[in-house]
Amino acid sequence: MRRKKKSHAKIILSIITIIILVLWLFPYYYLVLQSVVPWTDVDKTVFTTKFSFDSYAYLFGQNGAGAGDPLQWVRALLNSFVVSTPTAVITVAVGLMTGYAAVHKEYKGKSVIQASLLFQMFFPVVVLLVPRYMIVTPLANSYLGMILPLSISIWGIFMYINYFKTVPKAVFEAAKIDGASDWRILLKIALPSTKSVSIIVFLSVFMTRWNELMWDMLIAPDVKMQTLNVMISTQFNQYSTLAGPMYAASVLLTLPIIILFLCFSKHFNEGINFMLK
Amino acid sequence: MRKKNLEENASVQTRKKRRKGNAIAWLFNTPYIIYSVVFLFIPLGWAIWLALTDWNLMTPEYEFVGFKNFMDLFRDTKVQAAFWNAFHYLVPIVILSFIFGLGIALLVSHLPKKLKGIAAVMFFIPYLISGVSSAVLVKHLLSYNSMINVFLRDAFDININWLQSDAAFWVLIAEIIWKLSGYYALFILAGIASIPEDVYEAADLDGCVGMKKTILITLPMITPTITSVIVLAAGVSFQIFAEPLLLTGGGPNMSTTTWLLEIYRTSFVSFRAGYGAAMAIVNAVQTFVVIQLVTWLMNKLNKRFGW
Repeated sequence: MRRKKKSHAKIILSIITIIILVLWLFPYYYLVLQSVVPWTDVDKTVFTTKFSFDSYAYLFGQNGAGAGDPLQWVRALLNSFVVSTPTAVITVAVGLMTGYAAVHKEYKGKSVIQASLLFQMFFPVVVLLVPRYMIVTPLANSYLGMILPLSISIWGIFMYINYFKTVPKAVFEAAKIDGASDWRILLKIALPSTKSVSIIVFLSVFMTRWNELMWDMLIAPDVKMQTLNVMISTQFNQYSTLAGPMYAASVLLTLPIIILFLCFSKHFNEGINFMLK
Repeated sequence: MRKKNLEENASVQTRKKRRKGNAIAWLFNTPYIIYSVVFLFIPLGWAIWLALTDWNLMTPEYEFVGFKNFMDLFRDTKVQAAFWNAFHYLVPIVILSFIFGLGIALLVSHLPKKLKGIAAVMFFIPYLISGVSSAVLVKHLLSYNSMINVFLRDAFDININWLQSDAAFWVLIAEIIWKLSGYYALFILAGIASIPEDVYEAADLDGCVGMKKTILITLPMITPTITSVIVLAAGVSFQIFAEPLLLTGGGPNMSTTTWLLEIYRTSFVSFRAGYGAAMAIVNAVQTFVVIQLVTWLMNKLNKRFGW
């Protein structure tokens, strides 16, 4: 009897949770919906049977938001990919190397590197904004200028340090006795074993870079170099901006990241434990 | 003689090996070192120097003004607003994102195993949404002719100018909480999952169930996780930029302005780079002190629960 009551309670609780989840995601559903309804219905409906892709056609069309440059929005989307992917790859590579050296190598000057890492972990980056801008100005409006200054994540390095601390030294020493070089150990043993950490670091950095606003606004204001995030923000408060296409552009901005994360979501549980140490 | 030679040989070899080990370790650290020097240590020195000048970002001339920038900061209403707003943002963000995060985590943790993972990830989706996109959404949801406002006008004769009144601050808070809660729920869920089963079994035997179990067992068992979440949330209140930039411009009456917004505007819109650098340094000090304080408070709490 008691047991039955308990399972009833569990079902009710599950239903409540699902209702809350639906409400929680409603704003995003609303955003996607407004991008696929006819313009006359935008912001006037929460459910539709009339679909229209006018907003997307307008973004990518000759007479549309591109105003003479129909490729403007496509290019912005590509820019976002071109900037975010190498940033995430570099972060993973450097995190792996630095983390491995910090935990499994003994060398002269190690304490200097450790002190520097700790210092940076708690350092507010905004102090560096103007000087960084000055240093990178020669690379303004170039991919390099957008990628390099944000390509190393101290957080990423610490994720690898936390992970490598859980791996016994003996694992790598055994490989060493077998004659493997450090590079081989790094690529063939360390990298595969860090899969869940690497995926989390890659995705988080990719997402953070993709959603970066201030740096890209400063260093790449040229329309041809703008990321999608910046392009939407420059159109944001213009009087002529239409609601539908703004929703469509927002879907283009958010959907790739959401899909990417959903694809790799099963690795989260394992990786998230290293984020708290 | 030969033995001695061999020994010497061996020690030379280990020394060589060690030197080689040193070399490879430094090689592994090279990208990090180059990055730190170019994008951290040089800019840091430069920023401190800049803060003592009146440089305008454009012309090569500038003057060394000593601590004048810092003196001016105290009388600057924008700086005062940014300083106090950091606390205004901090309190509701920390409290609400923790409560919602905990609520989501507790709800999800009671779901059947099959649904658990996917539900947690779905709650986490808002965290992935760019501040720019959520600003697009908020702007249109709250515009004069939006469904919400039309409904409020027709049904209750209420007319709220959401983004140009006192409501603006809470709109931004709501947007930020929506984004953060699902993310923090993931941490709390990981914390809950790490509580050993037998703790709950013992509680069941003692007749501890329901809410009581949550408050007396789950929460004390995950205080380290709670600490991380609260420190993270406190940090967020110093990093708000896109939302006020696009939605309110920091207004009305600077009630939603933030450090990042004011530093950005001072340095790159008003071109007062020297003054902006001084602002950034004050902001950094405030951030550091507040985060240390929050961490210290949470560690005290941890000690009470035996962590």
